[in-house]
Amino acid sequence: MNDFSNALDVSVSGLKAQAQRLRHLSENIANADTPGYRRKTISFEAEFQNGSDIGRVETGRVRLDPADLEKVYDPSHPMADESGHFQGSNVNLLIEIADAREAQRSYEANLKMFEQSRQMSADLMSLLQK
Amino acid sequence: MLDKISLFQVAHSLARHSGTRQAIVAQNIANADTPGYTARDVAPFSTALPDKDASFGMVATRGAHLSGQRDQSDMQVIEARSRSSEPNENTVSLQEEMLFAVEAKRQHSKALAIYKSGLRILRTSINDK
Repeated sequence: MNDFSNALDVSVSGLKAQAQRLRHLSENIANADTPGYRRKTISFEAEFQNGSDIGRVETGRVRLDPADLEKVYDPSHPMADESGHFQGSNVNLLIEIADAREAQRSYEANLKMFEQSRQMSADLMSLLQK
Repeated sequence: MLDKISLFQVAHSLARHSGTRQAIVAQNIANADTPGYTARDVAPFSTALPDKDASFGMVATRGAHLSGQRDQSDMQVIEARSRSSEPNENTVSLQEEMLFAVEAKRQHSKALAIYKSGLRILRTSINDK
């Protein structure tokens, strides 16, 4: 029983982490055209409790991508400098979409494991019936 | 009481083994995107099985008799056999983990089915409708 509640707990931590990742991805996509926006990235880390690895995953702190901002040429833009350029965001939509797909895939896998652990403990409980 | 019967004993350890395996697979899947994470697995059931001689053979009829039973209070968690790792040194493969999850689920159902059927035989023998 302890194994199952532990498994449910771990699956939930995975779901949370993937949801967090997806949130930052959608922030990035929403701001793809915001001048000066740097894309946000988060890292996944193993969670430790009392110094031992308990198998859960947690998200690290949010970091900004230090890659160069895109220089867009548009003299009519209100933020354009003397040369007619302004700084766009460093969001690459292709990368964000691919990352979102991966997050979705992992989210589904976690959800499936959650469902299966739940089913297994329900089967166990049904032994007590009758 | 029931764990004195070796059939129940084996079904019990099979169910526990599959439960542990399920937990480990859930752990691997939750960490499928964690950089540097190494996939884990549980030692196969044949090594976790209660000692064959003890559960099927020797009967202790006196307090001084040794049961010779191996203590198997916890399953051995091992590092999964070497698999190709991703560029971020993560060795979890979602496909393989799905396979292990299904294996664990089937093993668990099998153990519960054996347990249930054993219970039914017991009930029949005491004529409980």
